[in-house]
Amino acid sequence: MTTPQESREVALRVADIRYAYGKTVAVDGVSFDVRPGEIFGLLGPNGAGKTTTISIVSGILPPASGQALIFGQDASGGSGRARARMGVVPQDIALYEELSAAENLLFWGRLYGLSGGALEDAVRRSLDLVGLADRAKARVKTYSGGLKRRLNLAAALVHSPALLLLDEPTVGIDPQARLRILDVVRDQARNGCAVLYTSHYLEEAEQICERLAIIDHGRVLAAGTVAELRRLVGEGPVVRIRGAIDGDGLRALAARCPGVSFLSADGDSASFSARDPDACSGLVRELFGSGLKLDDLRVQEPNLQSVFLKLTGRELRD
Amino acid sequence: MRTLATLVLKDVRRRFADPAALLLNLAIPLVMAGMMALAFGGRGDSQKTPVLHLVVVNQDEGPIGRALGNAQQNPEAANRLDIKQAKERGEGLTLLREEGAAALVLIPKDFSADLLDGKDVELEVVKNPAASIMPVIAQQGVEVAALYISIGARLLDGRGPRIAELFEGRGWDDTVAVAALVTELYQRVQGIDALLIPPLVEVKTGEQEAAKDADKGRPNFMIWMFPGVMIMGLLFTANTQMRDLLREGEIGTLRRQLAAPLGAVQVLVAKIVSVSAVVALATVLLLLIGRWAFGVTWGPILPLAAASAVIVLAATGFAALVFSLVRTERQGDAFGGVLVMLMSLLGGSFFPPQVIPSWMQGISRMTLTYWSHGALRDLASGGGWDKVQGEVAVLAIIGLVLTLTGLVALRRRHLRGTL
Repeated sequence: MTTPQESREVALRVADIRYAYGKTVAVDGVSFDVRPGEIFGLLGPNGAGKTTTISIVSGILPPASGQALIFGQDASGGSGRARARMGVVPQDIALYEELSAAENLLFWGRLYGLSGGALEDAVRRSLDLVGLADRAKARVKTYSGGLKRRLNLAAALVHSPALLLLDEPTVGIDPQARLRILDVVRDQARNGCAVLYTSHYLEEAEQICERLAIIDHGRVLAAGTVAELRRLVGEGPVVRIRGAIDGDGLRALAARCPGVSFLSADGDSASFSARDPDACSGLVRELFGSGLKLDDLRVQEPNLQSVFLKLTGRELRD
Repeated sequence: MRTLATLVLKDVRRRFADPAALLLNLAIPLVMAGMMALAFGGRGDSQKTPVLHLVVVNQDEGPIGRALGNAQQNPEAANRLDIKQAKERGEGLTLLREEGAAALVLIPKDFSADLLDGKDVELEVVKNPAASIMPVIAQQGVEVAALYISIGARLLDGRGPRIAELFEGRGWDDTVAVAALVTELYQRVQGIDALLIPPLVEVKTGEQEAAKDADKGRPNFMIWMFPGVMIMGLLFTANTQMRDLLREGEIGTLRRQLAAPLGAVQVLVAKIVSVSAVVALATVLLLLIGRWAFGVTWGPILPLAAASAVIVLAATGFAALVFSLVRTERQGDAFGGVLVMLMSLLGGSFFPPQVIPSWMQGISRMTLTYWSHGALRDLASGGGWDKVQGEVAVLAIIGLVLTLTGLVALRRRHLRGTL
């Protein structure tokens, strides 16, 4: 639970952080803020720099330059006071499979300074939150992938953090378990917890995040609310085609259609954005008239996928 | 301290949550010791005392050559020695190879005559490297014999040719001269009786004691072999336990701990402490098994506790350093395994370091196995604190250096984000 004073301040401030693994630059000047009660999404493909950013924010890696401040305190500070207010859900299922769910949570709770009755209460509450109270004594190795993901989240909540970092928390699980995790994350935000949520599932990020940053090759390409990001590709529909395509030919075709912009060509797929339905109709007529052999043609409302396409020139695949 | 205890207890809980894996790990040194016991005859009762197989090429027709070549005729030696005679070196080498003997001993032509004349003489020993430690025993036996012969030759200084005549049956008619010679030799022997006479008496006494108690006085081969196997097993145990550090890195629990409000050094120290706890448990078990199953007595408790503690520290530090240098568990297994085998070979787990070339013996003394075996073998041979304190000090230094170096290297890897 956060105090009213905290709710007025920035929970997490990431300022121009950089990090390289040898000569490979993983994070290159990333900046963003997350406020209490807000779910902020960091969206990008695998290898974009999301996990390195989370590692720097969680104090595991020291940034080469820049700063990550948690409620005004340096994340990599030796005292660990900043980290004590933070819960981290790693991309891996970071649990001890030989131990039971309760034993895992007792261990993580102790590391955050809980003990005695307070620790036991916190463990019970966390298990309830993720719906695992009835399986508290079962060893984690007997859990399904979905149950493990839920326990992975519970381990980050046991000490009631004011800032929650989630690194792809729903990878490889069934839709039901995913919905449960998303519900818990929303509840945390409603209770005032600041949430940094990384994902490469665009629909999921669109559903849950109030603000987003799109990251690729270690750089933030765009940031804002979902509506603000959508406006980057215009208000009109997006046309996506699949078939035997020729990028240069399609670029020329788009130029012939008023109100149409060529977005991207990636393998056998290409995308266009149209200013309005009339421009869209003109484009579709031109495509069918061009003699192109198309396997698929879809007209969609602009979404984060089209934003990503426009910004990077390629699709963000699962 | 509370956090450190939490981290260590977590590992202890995990070990006991999967006792089969722990027992399997502890079984490695036990299986090794058992196999060695089967291969070399186990504890030293009379039926299982190793017999030294020798090939002797005696080209000397004098009394010393005859005595050495027929050493097997001594009733005590007959139980320990199996001597095959060959006429010349080539035949001897063939026998050495075909019979699997420990060594060939060549007594050269005119050995007795030259020795009695006061000339320098040589005994040649050709060791069979395929016969485990027995060639070393043969070499040391011949060296002891050479020492006694040298002492004898010096006692006869200038009187050799005269004695040679007597051995050949000549000169006995001059009784006054013979009496003078005997008196002179007696006086020389009297001068060094403190050196020579007690061993002769001790040999006789030893035979009588041995007759009273079949086990006492006979060598227990496991006193030598068990510490070597035990140290190798402990190093494997330490490596297997330290793998958990990379496993935790792989499953993400290490990163999760590092994101908690505690320092990286605390996390790493806790891992080292929990590994050393398991290695200490393995040490105690192996000491008990060595005592009960193989008849190895470990001497007074305090020196044993000190030696065990520094061995645990050194083994844990070694494993920490190994796993700070590798990226994956598999690399750790391979690299650590090769290093353990190398150190065991060089340090004397399977045969005494004396059998390796002299330049390698210097390297042998740089291994922690050398000092660990030394301490345990000294204790098993009846040594006390005065005998092992040097080894304990060296092991403590090795252990501290390895542990601190491993810790620093692991922390550097953490800072680079590669742990």
